[in-house]
Amino acid sequence: MTAAEAFVARTRARPVTYAPWLDREESRRRLAEHGLPEPRCEAWRYSNPNRWYGAFSRGARGVDPSHAGAFSRGARGVDPSHAGAFSRGARGVDPSHAEAFSRGARGVDPSHAGAFSRGARGVDPSQQEAERDAAAGAAAAPRAVGADVVDFARADARDRACIERHLNTAVDRAKHPLANVNDIAMRLGLLVHVAASDDPAEVVLGELGGGIERILVVVEPNASATLIERGATPVHRVVECVVGDGARLDHVRLQPPADSVEYHLVATRLGASSHYRLAQYSQGAALRRNDLHVRVAGRGAEVEIRCGYRLGPRTHLDTQIGVEHEAPDAVSRQTARGVVGERAKAVLNGRIHVAPGAQRTDAALTTKSLLLAPTAELNAKPELTIHADDVQCAHGATVGELDADALFYLRSRGVSAVTARDLLIGGFLAEAVGDLLADDARELLGIAR
Amino acid sequence: MLEIENLHARTGGRDILKGVTLTVQRGEVHAVMGPNGSGKSTLASVIAGRPGYEVTAGSVRLDGVDLLRLEPEDRAHRGVFLAFQYPVEIPGVSNMEFLKAALDSRNAAAGEDALSAMDFMRRARAAASRLDLNPEFLKRGVNEGFSGGEKKRNEILQMLLLEPTLAVLDETDSGLDIDALRVVAAGVNTFASPDNAVVLVTHYQRLLDHIVPDYVHVLVAGGIVRTGDRDLALELESNGYGWLVDA
Repeated sequence: MTAAEAFVARTRARPVTYAPWLDREESRRRLAEHGLPEPRCEAWRYSNPNRWYGAFSRGARGVDPSHAGAFSRGARGVDPSHAGAFSRGARGVDPSHAEAFSRGARGVDPSHAGAFSRGARGVDPSQQEAERDAAAGAAAAPRAVGADVVDFARADARDRACIERHLNTAVDRAKHPLANVNDIAMRLGLLVHVAASDDPAEVVLGELGGGIERILVVVEPNASATLIERGATPVHRVVECVVGDGARLDHVRLQPPADSVEYHLVATRLGASSHYRLAQYSQGAALRRNDLHVRVAGRGAEVEIRCGYRLGPRTHLDTQIGVEHEAPDAVSRQTARGVVGERAKAVLNGRIHVAPGAQRTDAALTTKSLLLAPTAELNAKPELTIHADDVQCAHGATVGELDADALFYLRSRGVSAVTARDLLIGGFLAEAVGDLLADDARELLGIAR
Repeated sequence: MLEIENLHARTGGRDILKGVTLTVQRGEVHAVMGPNGSGKSTLASVIAGRPGYEVTAGSVRLDGVDLLRLEPEDRAHRGVFLAFQYPVEIPGVSNMEFLKAALDSRNAAAGEDALSAMDFMRRARAAASRLDLNPEFLKRGVNEGFSGGEKKRNEILQMLLLEPTLAVLDETDSGLDIDALRVVAAGVNTFASPDNAVVLVTHYQRLLDHIVPDYVHVLVAGGIVRTGDRDLALELESNGYGWLVDA
């Protein structure tokens, strides 16, 4: 039995206690029939999924799932020792994290949990405390303005109807089989619901502490929202975004460095004439994979995806970007810029798929990478599949080292070799930084300002 | 101040400099002229410490300090400045960031406090206007999309801000129209003082119409074959280098 098969067996056998009303049959069936990625399969060639199964199993073993779920229901009922155990196990490593987590869990004001699980329309009164918690690296309540944020476990009939209607409509479970695991084993689910309004909504998700997390974002037609993910990352998070006709979603993800093994999926489905901007700024982890998948389901939608990453020594970051043009007259832009340090490994896959009938698609994909050491590794692959005849698709990928002439130029002006390298790296990465949260992005990427 | 003795240097597997000896004192302006491929730019590169050049014999000293043992940034801290023949474009790094980093490094090396952001901006704007550069250029990427003339003026601006004791200008006149040449020359003339020295590396005489050198050296095939005053440059202008190459 392979590690994947063993993991499937364990996942399927696990009793579900979190939001048991959710229909998980389809995910169970898919897991049984199709299993999970094996190390040799093409999509996982450079990021061994067995490491994830191992880390995940270690994290899940011996933990009463109700506890992790309980965290989301409010820190009230959390025994910090459990949360700590989960956290330590899940990351498989640094005990200081576990402590931080326990501190966080212990220190959470129940009013936060209440505010967030019930959702907040208007300013969250505990916002400042939440920010303080986030700054301390602790799990904190989401902040929401103009949006409802509801814990699946506390969803009322109306929320449940919304969740059931939209869940897995953006996720392609055949393409991303780990999403099936997320369905079955989630310990925290949040519905972020944005109704049409004159004022754009803003939702900030810090560290949530769920370990296995599902975020379902529903932006109703003609509504507009900003979603920001920041703080320590969980081992497994699926963010599913359903963007209605004429709606707009700005999505920023900041992923600080970690020593964990993680899998993240962003799956977005776009309605007609909608806009989606995704900016992801990452540092590496022991193994961190981000699948970013956008289905352009409605005519005339616009997508912009920007990724900037900086990998420190011995870290690993796998970024798989895919844009599926299913409808005509849409525009998509993918740009990624990254810097890979000593013994670090980056995987960068950019895919554009144009379905038959998606005429007048205008799609482009560019990736640029810098390798800082002979031991740095990059596996970059652009993929274009085009089944329509009236389209414009462009792609370009470059890989290089720091420019020796530029280094000398800076040093000849008295700038030290170390500062000169930092300036050049910063300059290279700066072009990946968008206008939203630009300062935070620069800080995360270590760009001086 | 600058003492170059019997300097031999090679690059790309070829011997370029074959025994250059040159002494420059404070308050002097020297012009190093010569035909293409004579080693002028190699000389400038070796003084500034450009990687890829190997010194096989001889020495280069500045105020008694062996420059060849120093990293490029340490040479800069001791007062060496090279105006590049081909200034490098660095997209994503603004001129402001770059100039501030250079000034901060110099001040830190001299044990001085860093300039406040306001003082820095004042000085940078003043230098820019002296060189007819739109202050907006400070926000642009270093040399990014600059015209040839703008790039060269940016080099002179850096020289004015960094106040080196030895400025080596490598073909700063190349690619300049006559107006830009005047502006650049005026910048150099403002800079030149009894406390510093300027070495102009140039192929053509025309820069010397605007900056009057105290000495003119002719470099041919990696060695200085003749030294004179400004009249030597005029002689080269009318007769070319041929008579010296054949001599």
